[in-house]
Amino acid sequence: MGGRRRNVLVIGLVLGLLSASAIVIASKPTVLGLDLRGGTQLIYQARPTPQTPQVTPEAIDRAINIIRTRTDKFGVSEPEISRLGATGIQVGLPDVQNAQQAIDQIGTTAQLYFYDLEANIIPPDKPGVPKDPATSPDPNPSIYTLPNLYEAVKFASKREPECVQNQCTTSGPTFYLFNKKSHELRAGPAERRKDLFFNTASERQPPGTEVLTVPQGTVVATAAASPSLDLTPAEISDSPQFVLTDRPALGGTEIKDPQQQFDPTTNQPNVTFEFTDAGRVAFQDVTRTIAQRGNATAPPGTFSAQAADQYSQHFAIVLDNQVFSNPIINFAENPDGIDGRTGAQISGNFDIDSAQDLATILQTGALPVKLALESQSTVSATLGQQALDQGLLAGAIGFLCVVIFLLLFYRLLGAVAVLGLMVYGVFFFALVKLIPITLTLPGIAGLILTIGVAADANIVIFERIKEEARAGRSMLSAIAQGYRRGIATIIDANVLIMFTAFILFVLATAGVKGFAFTLGIGTLVSLFTAVLFTQAVLGSLGRSKLLHSARALGAGPQRVRWRFDFSGASRWFFSVSGLILAVGAIALATKQLNLGIDFTSGAKVTASLKRAASVDDVRRTLDRAGVPNVSSAEIQTVSNPKLGPNVIEIQGKIGEEEGSGDEQTLGPVKTALEREFGLRGGASGFSGTNVGPTFGAQVARSAMIAILFSLLVISAYVAIRFEPKYAIPVIIALVHDILITAGVYSLTGREVTSGTVAAFLTILGYSMYDTVIVFDRVRENVPRMPRAAFSQIANRSVSEVLTRSLITGLSTVFLVTVLYIFGGATLQDFAFAMMVGVLSGAYSSIFIATPVLTHWKEREPAYRARRARLIEEMGRLPTFPEDNVVARVGADGEPPPTAPAPSRAEPAPSRVEQPGPREPVETGPRDGSDGAPEGPRAPAEPEPLPAAAAPEPAPPTRSERQRKRRSQQRRRRKHGRNR
Amino acid sequence: VALVVWFTVGLALWHFTVFLPDRFWAGIVGALLGAVTGAMLSGGIAQVLSGRTIGDTDMGTVVVAIPGTVVGLAAIYALGVRRERLAASD
Repeated sequence: MGGRRRNVLVIGLVLGLLSASAIVIASKPTVLGLDLRGGTQLIYQARPTPQTPQVTPEAIDRAINIIRTRTDKFGVSEPEISRLGATGIQVGLPDVQNAQQAIDQIGTTAQLYFYDLEANIIPPDKPGVPKDPATSPDPNPSIYTLPNLYEAVKFASKREPECVQNQCTTSGPTFYLFNKKSHELRAGPAERRKDLFFNTASERQPPGTEVLTVPQGTVVATAAASPSLDLTPAEISDSPQFVLTDRPALGGTEIKDPQQQFDPTTNQPNVTFEFTDAGRVAFQDVTRTIAQRGNATAPPGTFSAQAADQYSQHFAIVLDNQVFSNPIINFAENPDGIDGRTGAQISGNFDIDSAQDLATILQTGALPVKLALESQSTVSATLGQQALDQGLLAGAIGFLCVVIFLLLFYRLLGAVAVLGLMVYGVFFFALVKLIPITLTLPGIAGLILTIGVAADANIVIFERIKEEARAGRSMLSAIAQGYRRGIATIIDANVLIMFTAFILFVLATAGVKGFAFTLGIGTLVSLFTAVLFTQAVLGSLGRSKLLHSARALGAGPQRVRWRFDFSGASRWFFSVSGLILAVGAIALATKQLNLGIDFTSGAKVTASLKRAASVDDVRRTLDRAGVPNVSSAEIQTVSNPKLGPNVIEIQGKIGEEEGSGDEQTLGPVKTALEREFGLRGGASGFSGTNVGPTFGAQVARSAMIAILFSLLVISAYVAIRFEPKYAIPVIIALVHDILITAGVYSLTGREVTSGTVAAFLTILGYSMYDTVIVFDRVRENVPRMPRAAFSQIANRSVSEVLTRSLITGLSTVFLVTVLYIFGGATLQDFAFAMMVGVLSGAYSSIFIATPVLTHWKEREPAYRARRARLIEEMGRLPTFPEDNVVARVGADGEPPPTAPAPSRAEPAPSRVEQPGPREPVETGPRDGSDGAPEGPRAPAEPEPLPAAAAPEPAPPTRSERQRKRRSQQRRRRKHGRNR
Repeated sequence: VALVVWFTVGLALWHFTVFLPDRFWAGIVGALLGAVTGAMLSGGIAQVLSGRTIGDTDMGTVVVAIPGTVVGLAAIYALGVRRERLAASD
């Protein structure tokens, strides 16, 4: 296909896609994440249950489906429910501000069983309590209860394990963790002992606690006065308890169509349900048995229903180890049991809401796994809107900065790049709406950074075009060559960023995933717009007068030409890096990293109060409400006019008690603040995050795995695309950058959040991007300079790409500075790490990675021989390959420089008004075979390295040195005469 | 954290090997391996002997990695010199 047709086709395609994008943008809504629109995010860890002893992927999928049904029934629009790792589930509930209600509704396991009460009750050994309730029942079943959970579990623990007719609801013993002194429940019931310590930082039994074991075949069920799924551990601990033989008559799978109704006689809310066919039979059988037993124990002649009540026995409905209802089966009314066709009801002290909740939970069925809440985060709509505004402002300003920068530096080319960026912006926004990508704050950060990536692709190409133009090519030819030569570099660099984004997406936690996704998609789209589209536009402008003006393209005479011995001076840069790293190591050891609650666990709350409150007032209020660890919590008033005049921030382990296995949430904090001071805008005045210790550890672990895996993949790619020796310096530079950034974080005491981890991983991408661009030029120059020492090739390559590195480094620093200034608290963390990392990355690509590569490559016999030969012939090793010719020019009647000039002493950079084409290099033996030009515009000469793999010569003796010098001088004189 | 500290100490000291003649086995990369391995080993041994946990760090954590780094570098250097001599004698 001709170039012109191709350009027209690409521009036509872009115009078509722009039209389609406009339709998508106009017609589809933008899906905003919880951090931007407000809502609640819950992260659960699945634990085994008796029914599901192993947490399998199928069990997680089933649990996700049930949670989805529950959230749908609770009227939550667009819930985001996804798997997190192997056993985690993440639930995003947009616009839901009442986190406690959501937690109650979603995480309830809802295991429902029906027991024949008197037949299964194990009565306590107390005076007045019948020994065999089935044959000598008491009309008041509460006589069989034990006063509290500890007593009941202790009593049950003395039973022998038995599983009558294999009907047990557990596959083994059940474990409880109690406070040794107060006997309050700390965790349990759990199927595995270790699950009791799941929520403790060390995952071991906390001191001052006691584990009690209830053998299989015995179950302890709470008989609370007001049964509820929301009972706290303290309420459960203090409630009376039944100890039952674990032999249920039927289970929750045998009921259907549960509904919230009203009891026709009492008009109290209740829950009615019907039975399945099997359930109906089982229900009638068990109620018949109960009725017949009641009849047998009643005095002869008890016929009236009222009289029969006294002697009738009970049926217990147990939901999640709690007796919700224990109705009488009146033998006078139901001598043959109750026909299950009419269904049954659960009545208790319900209000409408709690009855509805129970009905919904029964409708959706029991969760196959137990869900332990690991992290809870609620963002108010106001804070979300504020974050969105800040993110968009940062994006707009960042875009503007890049536009100005490109226009100033590249003029017409810059204008084309800006056009490309605009097209990129439209495409990206359309994709966000079309897929749809849930736009989160980290996602906006990713988007802003892809603007940098897109701009960088253009900068790489434009610098190439300028080089080609300055080398004497026509503008059209320069543009064609610039794109041709730049594309491989850009693809290499972008592929590596995509790898990093992919690894981040797979391994990292929720917030970082959004960032990774936008970074990956953005990089892909930017490749299309920045390379194909801009090339087509420039190609179409082929005959324009503007394109023939080097000045209009910013390709005028090169004013700054880098002439610095990067390899020679590397030892001083190495020293600087070594010192910085040493300081970083000391800081890391003595000050450590200030890890945020994402890693250490704990809670962070922002509340906008109606009435002004001092820090002490807030602390006292929370203390009175029984919120744990209030004394050690950091409480401060913050200024945020958008939220209101009285905004407080609380940070500490206020959402959980150390060693507690319970899922304590921020509910008590919210309730206490609301009651005492009032919340502006009700629930939307409260935002909070509560992270459990295991989740924190998981975040840290996944971050470490992501970093290590990225390093592995990056080195493999570089080894394949370049050669294995190029991979090691890339990795060294990356580790250098990450450790320097970590050291700076430690020194400054800035908080490390999950956003910082995303930034660390992006630093990997950026640092590697820079290094790959330098190495790509080295790789390109190696065959062109078949007689140059590797340090000369490295110096030449670095000096050629240094301007690009500076420009892209600066443009990225602009972007992250904008993020830092305008991006709000979350993006500030990210931007700070990025700023340090980008600066360190640009520095390490030039002054660490390249010198390490040089040192290593120069050990290769071929390069060692080249170097020795150059030194032998010239008396020194010039900084740049083109300087090698100075030996010949300098010999033009003038004595050549004999003393080895320290190459690092050369000024940097020097100004050269008219650089002109480079001199060809002619060194080496004068056999007429070395006339290959070495300028970059020379045709590539893939000449194999000299086969003479000369071993490094031993240090010459004094006489040898004198002999060499004389021989050198003779050769130069002869050469001069020839000229 | 202690692991990161030892690694950083090894890496920091390795930077100064550019002032030494390049006679390390495998060159500058061999020196890096020696420095980091030495730092991790001596740091780990000291931490185990002191009975502290891996997260318990202070200035001592930095100091204990230094001898290991130096020994690691010296070992790689000696190995490099030995190989050079063997190559020369061949």
